[in-house]
Amino acid sequence: MKKFTSIFLILAMLIVTLSGCSPSTTEAPATTETEESTETASIEGTTMTVVAAYGFAEEIFAEFTKDTGVKVEFLDMSSGEVLTRAEAEGGKPMADVWFGGGADSFMVAGEKGLLEDYVSEEEKSVDEKYRGDNFWTGISLVTAGFMVNNDILAEKGLEAPKTWKDLLKPEYKDEIAMSDPAISGTNYAVVNCILQSMGEEEGWAYLEELNKNIPFYFQRGGEPPTKVSAGEMAIGVIPMSGEFIAMKDKFPVTTIYPEDGIPWVPAGLAIFKNASNLDAAKAFVDWALSAKGQEIIRDKDPRVMVRSDVAIPELMNDINLDKLMDIDLLKFSSERETILERWSTMVGN
Amino acid sequence: MKRLSRGSRNLDAPFYDIFDLSTVFIISGLILIFILWPITEVLVKSFFPDNKFSFEMYRDIFTNDRKLIYNSLFISTLSTIGTIVISTIIAIYATFSNRKIKNIISAILMMTMISPPFVSSLSYIILFGRRGLVTHRLLGLSFSPYGWQGIMMMQIAGNVSIAALLIIGIMSTIDRNLINASLDLGESPASTIKKVVLPLAKPGIVAASFLTFVKSIADFGTPIIIGGKFNVLATEAYLSVIGRGNFPRAAAISVLILIPSLFIFQIYRYHMDSSQLLSTSGAKIQNNDYYGFNMGKPLTIFVGLITFLFLSFLVIQYIVIFLSAISDFRTGKLIFTTEYIKSVRASLMPSFFRSIRYSFIAGILTSMIGLLLSYYVERRNLKIGKTIDFISTLPYIMPGPFFGIAYILAFNGHPLALTGTGIIVVLNCIFRQIPISTKAASASLKNISMELEYAARDLGSSNLKVIFGVVMPLLKPAFLVSFINTFTATMTTVGAIIFLITPSTRVATVEMFNVLRDGKYGLASVLACMLIFTTLIINVSFSSLLLGKAKISKE
Repeated sequence: MKKFTSIFLILAMLIVTLSGCSPSTTEAPATTETEESTETASIEGTTMTVVAAYGFAEEIFAEFTKDTGVKVEFLDMSSGEVLTRAEAEGGKPMADVWFGGGADSFMVAGEKGLLEDYVSEEEKSVDEKYRGDNFWTGISLVTAGFMVNNDILAEKGLEAPKTWKDLLKPEYKDEIAMSDPAISGTNYAVVNCILQSMGEEEGWAYLEELNKNIPFYFQRGGEPPTKVSAGEMAIGVIPMSGEFIAMKDKFPVTTIYPEDGIPWVPAGLAIFKNASNLDAAKAFVDWALSAKGQEIIRDKDPRVMVRSDVAIPELMNDINLDKLMDIDLLKFSSERETILERWSTMVGN
Repeated sequence: MKRLSRGSRNLDAPFYDIFDLSTVFIISGLILIFILWPITEVLVKSFFPDNKFSFEMYRDIFTNDRKLIYNSLFISTLSTIGTIVISTIIAIYATFSNRKIKNIISAILMMTMISPPFVSSLSYIILFGRRGLVTHRLLGLSFSPYGWQGIMMMQIAGNVSIAALLIIGIMSTIDRNLINASLDLGESPASTIKKVVLPLAKPGIVAASFLTFVKSIADFGTPIIIGGKFNVLATEAYLSVIGRGNFPRAAAISVLILIPSLFIFQIYRYHMDSSQLLSTSGAKIQNNDYYGFNMGKPLTIFVGLITFLFLSFLVIQYIVIFLSAISDFRTGKLIFTTEYIKSVRASLMPSFFRSIRYSFIAGILTSMIGLLLSYYVERRNLKIGKTIDFISTLPYIMPGPFFGIAYILAFNGHPLALTGTGIIVVLNCIFRQIPISTKAASASLKNISMELEYAARDLGSSNLKVIFGVVMPLLKPAFLVSFINTFTATMTTVGAIIFLITPSTRVATVEMFNVLRDGKYGLASVLACMLIFTTLIINVSFSSLLLGKAKISKE
C-alpha cells in the first residue's frame, strides 16, 4: 500500500513537472505540421472552432457539419467580449471563426489586424450595403425594436410604446430594460443609429433623457427580452430576431418595430488571423453566404438575410424595410471609442 | 512545537539528495512562475498603462468611482457581519445539541457548500423576483428584486455553510470542563457562552470572518446578476475587461480590491498562527463526545429557531433549483416538464465531462503540491520557506477575475504561451486553491509527531522515504480535504477562468453562466443540478475510496 502510494505520488509529480514546464515545446511542431499540410488536406473530419453570438448556433453548425463533414466546437460570446479577448491574446486567436454579433466590433478588429483577409466568391450575390470589407462580411441584419410584457403593462395601466420618442414618457420610468452598448452589439447599433439619425446634439440629449427611464443596464443583448418575458421588466430594447419574436407564443409579450426608424447593423462573420483551421473556416464563410446556407440560417434563427435572393422570414413579415434608419456604417467603428467613452460618463456609477 | 533544521543525513544516497533538492526547486519554481509572475504582471500593468509609469488609473478610480469603493466595502462588511452572526448561532446550536442533530446540521452545511456560484442568485430571482414564487404568487407583490439587499442576502446564504463548519470545528474542540467549571461557578448559560465559548472559538470566528470578507469583496457574479444598478469594484473590473478591453483599469481595480483583503489578512495573521487558516474548513468535525448543556429555554429556542429558519432557507433554495429544473410554474400552476432537461444540448455534455476531468486533475495535483509545499515549509525550515508560503497564500485573497486577467497577461506569449489551452485553465484552478491545501496539510502536520520522522531516519530511511513512506500516508485526511475542496471549487468556479476559456475548453460553469445571463432559468437549473450531483457523488466516492479501506487515524 505504502509502495503503491509513493509510486503514485512520484508519477503525479512528474506529471506536474511536465505539464508545468513543457507546453511551449510540445506545441511548436504541431503548428509547422498544419502549415505544411494545409494545401493537400481535405477539411472533412477536421474540427473548426467558433465564437458565436447567434441564436440556435448549435443547430446551424450541425447543418454545416452535415454538408461538409467539418466538426464544430463553439462558445457563446458577445461581440465586445470577443474583441477584447482577441486583443489581449495578441495574435493567438481563441477560435477560427467569429460568427454573429454587431459589425462594429468586426470593423475594429479588422483595423487592428486581428482578422484574416478573405473575400468569398459568394459575396457577389450579397447586397452591397451589407458586404463589409475584406476582413469581414455581413451575414444577416440585426434590427432593434421593443418587446413589452402585456401583463405588467396592464397591471400598471400603461400603453405599449410605438416610437423611440415614446420611451421617454415619464410613466415608463424604471420599466425599460436595455443592455450596455459596450458589450451588446445590438444596443451599440441602437445608440449609434440614434446619434446618426437625430444628429449628435439632439441624439445625446435623447439618450440622456432615456437614461433617466432606465434603472440599470444589462450586459448582453439577449438579456432584455428574457427579462421582459419573465415579467421582470415591462419594456425591453431587443434584437428583433425570430428567437425573441417567437416568444409571444409562450409568454404574454408583444414585439414592436419602432415607427420612427429601425436601428440596424449587419451581424458579422469573419475568420481570425492565424486561424488553425483556415480551410474549414473559409468553407464555412462560403457556406454561410451561399443561398442554401442563408436559407438554413434564416430558418433556424429568423432574421432578414444579407442576400437579396433569400426571402424575409415569415415571422418578420410585418417589418417595413423602408423604416431602416439611413446610416453610414463606417461611422460605427470610427466613433466607437468616443461614443462608448461619453456613454460611460453619462451613465456613471 | 520543536522544530529542528534537518538536512539530509549522511546515510542518504546521493540520488535522494538530488531528488529532494529538485523537489524543493520545482515546487518553489512552480509557485514563482504560476503565482508571483502573473500577479506582478497585473501590478505592472496597472502602473504602466501605456508603458509609462503613471498613477492615472488610480487617480481616475479615486475621482470618478469612489462610489464603487464605498459600495464594495459596504456590501462586504454587511455580508461578513451577517454571515458571522448567523454562523456562530448555528455553530452554538450544533455544538451543544445531541449528536444526531449535530450530524444533520453538518450534513446540510456540507451539502450546501457545493454551490455553483449563481445557484443562490438564481433561486433568489425565482423566489423573490417580480414574478417570484414568494413575492408575487404567494404575497401578490410586484417589485424589482435588484439591489444591494439581494446581494447581501445571497452572499450570506453562500458563505454561511463554510463559516459555520469552521466555527463548529473549533467549538467542538473546546474542553468541556471549562464550560462545566463556568456553570458550576454560577455563571448563567448565556454568560458562559459569552465568556467561555465565544472567546475560545475566536480562532474559528476570525478565520471565518476573514474568509467571508475576502470572498464577498471579490465576488462579481452575484452583483452582476442581482445587483441592478448597485455596482461594486469586482463587477467593474470584469466589465472593464469584457466591455471596454481596458486591462490597465481592470488591473488597477483589482489591486484596490486586494488592499483591504491584505489588510484583513494581516489582522488575521496577527490573531492566530497562520497555519490554522482553513484547517477545518470542510474537514471532518472533531469527534468530541457529545456534551450538550442546557442553555435554558429562551436561549435554546432563540438559537434553535434561527438555525432552523436559516437551514430551511438553504434547503429551500436547493429544492427550488431542483423543481425549476423539472417543472414550469410560470403559469401559476406547477406543471412537471422534461422540456428543460431535453434542452440540454448535446454540445453541453463535452463541457460537462471536461469540467469533471479538469477538476479531477486539479484536485490531485493541487493536493500533491500543497502537501509537499507545506511539508517543506513546516518541517525543513528552508530559508525561502516563509516567503514561498506567503506568496502561495496570495491567490486566495485575490478576486477571481484578477487571477484570470493575470494569467492572460502572463501567458499570452513567450516564453510560456499557454492562452487558449486547457492547461492554462487547469493551472489557474490549481494555483488558486493551493493556499487551502497547504493550510490543511500544515494543520495535520502539526499533529504528526516529529518522533516518527526521527525514528524512520534513525532506522536508515532517506529524506525521500521519510516523505513518501511516513509523512504522506499520514496526511491522507489532509489530502482528502484538499482534493475535495479543489475538486468542488474547480467544478463550480467561473470568476477566474471565464477569461481563459475557448471553444475547445468550455466548462460547465461557463455554460451555466451564459445560459443564466440569457435568462434561461429552467435550463440553468438543470445544469446547476447536474453540477451539484456530480460534485457530491465524486466527493463521496473519492472519500470512501481513500479512507474507506485503510483506516488511518491521525492519533
